[in-house]
Amino acid sequence: MSIFIEKDTKVLIQGITGSEGSFWTEHILGIGTNVVAGVTPGKEGQKVEGVNVYNTVRKAVAETQADASVLFVPPRFAKDAVFEALDAGIRKVVVIAEGIPVHDAMQMRRAALTEGAMVVGGNTSGVITPGVAMMGIFPYWIERVYKQGNIGIMTRSGSLTNEVTAMVIKAGFGVSSLMGIGGDSVPCTRFAEFLPLYENDPETKAVVVIGELGGTMEEEVAEAMEAGIFTKPLVSFIGGRTAPEGKKMGHAGAIVTGGKGTVAGKVKALEKSGALVADRPSVTGKLLKELING
Amino acid sequence: MKLFEYQAKEIFKSSGIAIPRGILIAENEEFSDINLPCVIKSQVMQGGRGKAGLIQFADNASEAREKIAALRSGPAKVKKILIEEKLNIKQEIYLAVTIDPVDCSALIMASSEGGMDIEELAKTMPEKIIREKVAAFRDLEPYQLRNVMFALGLKGEAFKQGCKVLMQMFTAFRKHDAELVEINPLVITDDEKVIAADGKFIIDDNAAFRQQSYPLSQDQFDSDIEFEAAQQGIPYLQFDGDIGLMCAGAGLTNAIYDLVNYFGGTVANYLEFGGPNYRRAVEAMEFTLRNKPKVILIVTFGTIARADVMAQGIADAVKKLKPEIPIVTAIRGTGEEEAAKILAEIGLDNLGDTEEAVKQAIAFAKGEK
Repeated sequence: MSIFIEKDTKVLIQGITGSEGSFWTEHILGIGTNVVAGVTPGKEGQKVEGVNVYNTVRKAVAETQADASVLFVPPRFAKDAVFEALDAGIRKVVVIAEGIPVHDAMQMRRAALTEGAMVVGGNTSGVITPGVAMMGIFPYWIERVYKQGNIGIMTRSGSLTNEVTAMVIKAGFGVSSLMGIGGDSVPCTRFAEFLPLYENDPETKAVVVIGELGGTMEEEVAEAMEAGIFTKPLVSFIGGRTAPEGKKMGHAGAIVTGGKGTVAGKVKALEKSGALVADRPSVTGKLLKELING
Repeated sequence: MKLFEYQAKEIFKSSGIAIPRGILIAENEEFSDINLPCVIKSQVMQGGRGKAGLIQFADNASEAREKIAALRSGPAKVKKILIEEKLNIKQEIYLAVTIDPVDCSALIMASSEGGMDIEELAKTMPEKIIREKVAAFRDLEPYQLRNVMFALGLKGEAFKQGCKVLMQMFTAFRKHDAELVEINPLVITDDEKVIAADGKFIIDDNAAFRQQSYPLSQDQFDSDIEFEAAQQGIPYLQFDGDIGLMCAGAGLTNAIYDLVNYFGGTVANYLEFGGPNYRRAVEAMEFTLRNKPKVILIVTFGTIARADVMAQGIADAVKKLKPEIPIVTAIRGTGEEEAAKILAEIGLDNLGDTEEAVKQAIAFAKGEK
């Protein structure tokens, strides 16, 4: 069992004929994902890596009963593609695109919340259950990162995921489900919203949260732990500890969060809720061992 | 894209929001006709212009000329200057529309303590900030305008005008893909007019394709190199340390920045050449060398940003630029075996471990290696 994608999940690939879409279709199939259809408007009748291409999501779903979709569409068309998937009845969507307008992202998240769907991203590598399936762009063949196991990973950063996960594997663990929630300021699903899934997943013994400065998502994880929504061991690494203030963070972010958003604040909140926070990637594995072995 | 005050006020004006009567004068321009007494406002990006002396007042034309000349020859390199009528202020209000990413709502913030720094207010008197949210797909409704304006204590004509201004701000927020629309202060004059005395407007860069474009200005950056890198689309920040970072991915680059500090080194620059820039190692190294680092530290762990492609780019850059400083590499991810071979050909030992690479770079920077 895994938390988002199973061996029998019927996966649709929107934007399958584009250069990225077709390149990653090969690898999405390669890990063993059950890809049932692709969509690119105007390209119906073509095949990509043996996968049938349809003009519309509606028709693809009608003919293949696809129940999840991964999007390889440019950022300006992401909102259209997400709504097309939701309106065709799909309730699990992964949006890879980087550079989605923030007002579009707000509509996407709002639609997902009100329609009971889970939209992951944008600006993410996607979702992977090593050894089973993936909806995203992971080099799953690199075994020192993508090894099957019992640690759930949630991350805001693609590049940092490889770095930190390699340290988790090096310590003797493997990954149950990895959720890339994305690096945008308005991710469609937030860290804390995945915690109940990890809590209920028998394959997941502990979770690693790869966070970053800015926003309140790490604090929300701490709140979920305090509230007893998540009770398994949790270790976090948060990038941007020594980032100079004002260089990256906007004026509005600081006020909305009322003092939340600094790495120091996030570390404090997480440690108070019983999590351990690694001060550098290499100690993540060691902290996991400590927490799991008591 | 953060706009200058005068650009924000152009949007306010076209949205129907009253702004002070004024003129904008360019770098070498003189004014011919102004309303006196006047406010002379330097059009620079830095905050706290009042405290920095970048906003001046003048009662007559000769005083105005003197003060403009002083601003132009001052350290802030003031180019454009906005000269506005001085308002008769009865009350100052803070009004802003921004984004709440949790609720996916527009967040309206208001305070009767106008003119004050809102971050300061949030720290000291958070209860003085009035909040109202408008969810995506919803409109700003009249009851919400009333909620805000009654809480601000406005009455009569000022109440009516305040409601109108907030509605116009909200409309502009959505129409222009804004991340922030702020009027601080929104002035209520002696004769009950409501006027935007200042303006901040930040447009989402990701929506540039459907918005009016504003040229990048040097003034938006802390250094010339940062400005040039931004024009090339390469994320770059300049610091005053020893180690030039060339990394891939914002998250990893942040973490490397932390690690350099953790192990006692200093950073000369932050440069990220992952994502769409992973084939641009030559330009990336050119920028990295600009701030005269003692060593270049290249760390990547990419997927789409293939290790072999980046390694080849680095080999090309070394051949072209012939840097006379040590280079430390830890290039991992897709195609890493091939990457190691390419780097070995130019005499670089590709490291597998990030911390080892960081420590080695620090040793070079300190002359211990």
